Amino acid sequence: MAKYISKRILYMIFIFFIMSLLLFFLYNLIPGDPARAELEGVKTKITPEEYQYRYEQARIRMGLDDPLIIRYAKWLGGTLKLDFGMSQVYKQPVATVIKQPMKNTIFINIFAVGLALAITIPLGIYCAVKRNSLFDKLIQVLTIVGYSLPTFIISLLFIFAFAVKLEWFPVSGMATPNFTGSSLEVFKDKLWYLALPLGVMTIGSLGGLTRYIRAAMSDALSMDYIKTARAKGLTEKVVIFSHAWRNALLPIITLLIGWLISVFSGSLVVESMFNLNGMGKFYINALTSQDYNVALAIQLFYIVIALLGNLITDLSYGLVDPRVRVNK
Amino acid sequence: MGHMKEVDKKRSFLSLLFGNLFGGNNKLSILEEEKVQSPFRTVIKTFRSNKIAMTALIIFLLIFLTVLIGPVIKPIDLSFSETSQQNIAPGYDMMAIPKSLNGKLKDIAIGPTFSAGISEDGFLYIWGKTRISDTVDIRNLKLPANTGKIVDIAAGYDHLIMLNDEGKIFGSGSNRQQQITPSYEVEMLTNIKEIEAGYQSSLVLTEDGRSFYFGNTMNSDYNQFHPYQGNLKKVLTTSDAVVGLTNDGQAVYLGTQRNAYSNIPENMGNVIDIATTAATVAAVNDQGQVFIWGNKSTKGEGNPPRTESKIVSIQGGRYHYTAQLENGDIISWGANYYNQADVPKAVKESNIESFYTDFYQNYAVTHTGEVLTWGLKGYLFGTDDLGRDIFTRLLNGGRMSITIGAVAVIIATFIGIIIGGISGYFGGKIDMVLQRVTEMVNSLPFLPFAMILSALIGNNMTSSQRTYLIMIILGLLSWPSLSRLVRAQVLSIREQEYVVAAKSLGIKQMGIVFKHILPNVISVIIVSATLSFASSMLTEATLSYLGFGVQAPQPTWGNMLYGANNSIVIQNFWWRWVYASILLGICVICINLVGDGLRDAIDPKSQER
Repeated sequence: MAKYISKRILYMIFIFFIMSLLLFFLYNLIPGDPARAELEGVKTKITPEEYQYRYEQARIRMGLDDPLIIRYAKWLGGTLKLDFGMSQVYKQPVATVIKQPMKNTIFINIFAVGLALAITIPLGIYCAVKRNSLFDKLIQVLTIVGYSLPTFIISLLFIFAFAVKLEWFPVSGMATPNFTGSSLEVFKDKLWYLALPLGVMTIGSLGGLTRYIRAAMSDALSMDYIKTARAKGLTEKVVIFSHAWRNALLPIITLLIGWLISVFSGSLVVESMFNLNGMGKFYINALTSQDYNVALAIQLFYIVIALLGNLITDLSYGLVDPRVRVNK
Repeated sequence: MGHMKEVDKKRSFLSLLFGNLFGGNNKLSILEEEKVQSPFRTVIKTFRSNKIAMTALIIFLLIFLTVLIGPVIKPIDLSFSETSQQNIAPGYDMMAIPKSLNGKLKDIAIGPTFSAGISEDGFLYIWGKTRISDTVDIRNLKLPANTGKIVDIAAGYDHLIMLNDEGKIFGSGSNRQQQITPSYEVEMLTNIKEIEAGYQSSLVLTEDGRSFYFGNTMNSDYNQFHPYQGNLKKVLTTSDAVVGLTNDGQAVYLGTQRNAYSNIPENMGNVIDIATTAATVAAVNDQGQVFIWGNKSTKGEGNPPRTESKIVSIQGGRYHYTAQLENGDIISWGANYYNQADVPKAVKESNIESFYTDFYQNYAVTHTGEVLTWGLKGYLFGTDDLGRDIFTRLLNGGRMSITIGAVAVIIATFIGIIIGGISGYFGGKIDMVLQRVTEMVNSLPFLPFAMILSALIGNNMTSSQRTYLIMIILGLLSWPSLSRLVRAQVLSIREQEYVVAAKSLGIKQMGIVFKHILPNVISVIIVSATLSFASSMLTEATLSYLGFGVQAPQPTWGNMLYGANNSIVIQNFWWRWVYASILLGICVICINLVGDGLRDAIDPKSQER
């Protein structure tokens, strides 16, 4: 097991290097001169000779004349120390500006995941138990609709219905401007603003998850040990929850762990729809305003998260289900 | 009895049709034997008996055919934009003149999307799309109780002015440039003969031939002390100038600048009528000759056709002219993209007493008082923020969306089959390396990575290059799931006897993989490709919606929704997002349903689950 884990981690690091190299290479394809950009502000205040001198100094300081591979090594060295450079828009280190959006995204996602699980698990189990009933067929069609509609269309529908027509929730934003009150009131206000985005994210993930849970549960229910349990005269409740569900949980858990982690990039559309100050919105803004240091940092974060997710999914196969021997 | 039979016959025909379409449910008796069928036929039969999947397939094929043929019938002009047609609601009522006006019509004033008419007894009627912006509506006019009879009306770009029999002026619509608030001077006038409205401007002409202007004085070149005061018979506006016709038959320019309008042709003789479009002026002399000057466009309003009879009166739209000949015929020339210069047969055949032309609409009144119309009636699905017809964009955008999805899937399937096939068949080191590569691509966060690729590589690409880029990015990122499927299938098949037999016959390895093994996994590939077609379309829509996919003006269903996420658009201009959303949603749902149906048909076990 330890050998397998270390092998996976080594492989992960290897992929991270390849991806960062690829990204850095692409990043360098963009025309532009950071040294000139830095001196843009003082250009008119100094003499041409001084400008030229400062410009050359800046180029040396930034290492712009080094070969690509050396620049990559320097950049990667900084990145590993969590120094992602300066944001060109905010004029602050990337690591500083990214903190608040990251917190918001984590907050939103934890809520959305919780909500989605609270709905999909009972629904999936019920559908599997009442397989081929009218209700099950209805849910099957609805879940196809659910995962066929892109998030932004669900968002538009939600905004139209609940924010514009019924006026129950605000259209966008994260909190009432200049809102003051006890921390509970602040939290309530935040939830009121986040109700719609959370609703959309939950609905968006309902389709796929419900189907997966239903399939896993159906598989478990068709096993011989369920027949044995029923033949023993156990109540249906015990059969479903302790015999079938426990076994269905194995594939579900592995899916969930991977999904939990990949969900970070999933709130990208919702954040931009509802104007939430999260990582996704931040990423889109960075890309459109060509603030590539920020965009690269977030992209690397996404990649690391995805790789970690993969690793944990792989390991959890072995941890959750002792029958699976990962090092085989 | 006969009637009953008829019903029975009809029903049997319908059941025959549906039976054939969806596959009949003929039950075999115990004694009968089922015919032996090839697996492929069984799949088709099972699929056809799946009503949901068949309906979905038919709907998708209908949409597909529509967007395939539609752009041929309604081609798109990518550079088109029309400021006067922004955010128009769906509907064909722009020229729906009220029936009650028939026979007693006195005058019609035409705006870009609305028209107003007055009857002989002085009542005002307004029809068409009267909402100018989310706050201004022409129909919201507050006329005082003692308005009296309305004797003249004029419609401008975004306003309407009316003159009553006591010489007072009322207005409705946009008042940002005071174009519906008469100046004090105009208020005091008692002898107003005619009113005229243009772009953010209004003009009045008095009985004694003087003109007065109110509205935006910066936009239109108008000199209130022009030398023709007291001698004017008619005044007209282009989008930025004022011209007039004097009592002695001279077309004159009423501004101070020297420009294309003031460059009036010489030797026009005795001018009997003038007309204006947005940027040109036309004059007709008593010989029936037409002179057109100003900033002529390439749309053809500067080239009047030859006529067998003299032109006696002329009126101008935004980019076209309509004129009446001495023999009563009506002719039109100029821009024709709303069919505003296509005089219908009914007009040619009837006896036209008078006609009204402005912007893109034409009304002709016959001697019996019937009103015939031609030109822009409205839009099936409305227009967007640049005045483009949403229906045309949906047709063309649909073709683009489906093409991108299809090309991406073809690329992904190609890569997936090759990598999955090689990796599954050869195993060992090759499999290890290819598996790691697959895993690497699969572990990439799809949407953010597609975005950064599109932003970095497509940084300085043209619109069509970017479209290809999106296809390739989607294709290059979505093959891993298919390659895994193919690998798993190949792994299970390569140990079977016929593969062993092929090997022992000495067939080349590549031949075995692609000729003997692959045909047996083709069903899995088709299902997977169908489902990934749907998800490619979704990803393209999301990318384009966020602004990282296909760029405007090239439409796709996704980028037509770009900019729709503010409450003003969502509420007031619902047609800008509803139709594209519905089409995209239905299309993807149908493809997914077809994919599901196919999977059920191929693998009957999955249905039992």
